[in-house]
Amino acid sequence: MSVQFDFRKELITIIPNLRAFATSLAGSFDRADDLVQETLVKAWDKQHTFQPGTNMKAWLFTILRNEFYTQMRKKGREVQDVDGIHAMQLAGHPEQQGHLDLQDFRKALELLPDDQREALILIGASGFSYEEAAEICKCAVGTIKSRVSRARTRIAEILGVEGDGDYGPDSISSQIIGVAPAA
Amino acid sequence: MSDHESEDEKVQTGQDQRSQPSELGINAAIGKQLKAYYEDVASEPVPDRFLSLLDALDKAESASKTTNRE
Repeated sequence: MSVQFDFRKELITIIPNLRAFATSLAGSFDRADDLVQETLVKAWDKQHTFQPGTNMKAWLFTILRNEFYTQMRKKGREVQDVDGIHAMQLAGHPEQQGHLDLQDFRKALELLPDDQREALILIGASGFSYEEAAEICKCAVGTIKSRVSRARTRIAEILGVEGDGDYGPDSISSQIIGVAPAA
Repeated sequence: MSDHESEDEKVQTGQDQRSQPSELGINAAIGKQLKAYYEDVASEPVPDRFLSLLDALDKAESASKTTNRE
């Protein structure tokens, strides 16, 4: 009984992270929350397989990610179309003050291949170690490292190109650094 | 440490052995943006729909347990 209660409580504390990760995978907020809902139902059903003391956040992220890719496979092309439309929606209204940086960044993220984007999010935002991320994505640690570094390079290129034209990689990264103090 | 994965040039840091996320140095700006992007969603309160869902799952489960026992 009390074990049950704790599971629920822990689950709730991780929901904000699940939503953020789901948004980065699914693109739209609505689809992200549907994904989180599916994840919660699945997690509830298999809560007996969770070993207390192990990383529940990683466990839930794994369920969510599996759910996402299962849905992608089922839906096939339809998903791609929706994603394309969504990328445009997210890219919209950059003129809103204060959100310009974030909008540009969203757009850049959307342009990354799925595997690079998820690696970048898991390491750079969700706070997982490379080892944990590798376990979640079922790949080697070196693969995660390489995806993260390619993702960062690509983001720098995308944002650099949109900023000031074609300078070398070095000046692109320093431009990005120059933008940072706003935050 | 640095494998043969450098497809394009090299990574901006030029020092791949510094692989700790917190020490990416020149990538700090991207890291900040990434966190801002993530926190934009992660800082929102948990929507009621999820709390209701968990309540419903909880009730369904205890209901089925009671049924099984009797």
